Amino acid sequence: MLSKHKSIRNLALMALLCMAFSGAANAQNPTASGVINANLVNKNGISIQFDTNSSGVTLGAAGTSAATANFGAVSAFGPLSGGVTRPSVTAANYTVRTIFDVQVVQGGLASLTYTLTANLAAAAPIGLSYKVDAVTLSTASQTIQTNGGYNTDIAHNLDLVVSTAAPGAGGPAVGTPITTVINFTATAN
Amino acid sequence: MVGGLLCLLAASAGAQTSTGQLTITMTVQSSISLVFKDNPAVGTAGFCPLTNAGTNNVGLDLGTAQFPGSTHSSTCVNYAHISGAVYEVSSAFDVVVTKSNSSSANYRLAAEISTPPPANVAWLINNVTLSTTTFTTLDSTDNFGSAITKTLQVQVKNTVPAQVLQETITFLATAN
Repeated sequence: MLSKHKSIRNLALMALLCMAFSGAANAQNPTASGVINANLVNKNGISIQFDTNSSGVTLGAAGTSAATANFGAVSAFGPLSGGVTRPSVTAANYTVRTIFDVQVVQGGLASLTYTLTANLAAAAPIGLSYKVDAVTLSTASQTIQTNGGYNTDIAHNLDLVVSTAAPGAGGPAVGTPITTVINFTATAN
Repeated sequence: MVGGLLCLLAASAGAQTSTGQLTITMTVQSSISLVFKDNPAVGTAGFCPLTNAGTNNVGLDLGTAQFPGSTHSSTCVNYAHISGAVYEVSSAFDVVVTKSNSSSANYRLAAEISTPPPANVAWLINNVTLSTTTFTTLDSTDNFGSAITKTLQVQVKNTVPAQVLQETITFLATAN
């Protein structure tokens, strides 16, 4: 009789323990929430870069806005560097030419095209003149193109017109490197 | 709020521009060129036409000739017996040398043949016999830009067997 009472008591204890554990499992984990209030100011802008054209000289620092083009040794009748051609030779002068690309990228503008202008950073050396797409450059800004398309390489001819005169007689210096800087400006239309 | 709008309007009012710089470098070198041209008297006796005239690589066909009977096929060459056993065929043309970016006042002209001629055959320019071993000076102070008339002569002895006589003559102009 006593043993039967002990069994009933044990069953009751087990039931209480089960109920206690079941209650702990059903309790909710604590949570937290937050929001980020983000903003971005999208500015409009325009950039220009010079790229090497497959038919022209390989530009130094191609893909940037401060590139270099080295024509190497040029003469009226002698050999020329790769990417340099000599479209004309006359008694008075000869022209050496290379081709380079200009790529203008815009963002945030309604503009579809741009205007390209160029000017020499300083007066042309004696016996030389510079042309971009047949436009003779000076220190004043000259319009090269009025409807350039964005995001694509646009080829331009760069001509150096060299006088055939001897040095000291109106011709350029011979045998020494001559460096000239051309400034280009792209303006969104 | 209004101030911010004004700032935005002011910022978008000016045209958007971008600038870049392309730096050009080159070295000018002196140079000269040589071309062969037809003489103004081309077509008359002693002045055969050049093929590819106006370039530095031309052709000059002197036709066919033989010693007996002073026979020659070309109407533009000069043919002569210059001794009892040698005949000469000749034709003249012009050489023009141009300079660029040079202070040189004039140039010297020389010529050379490319292959030794057969025995008893000689190639000459203005009576100067050419060789394969060295450039023979023809002139020492020719003027740039002026047409210099030169006469090519072939002298053949009557003992030379029948054959095609062919020669490449290289002219060399050197600025003084």
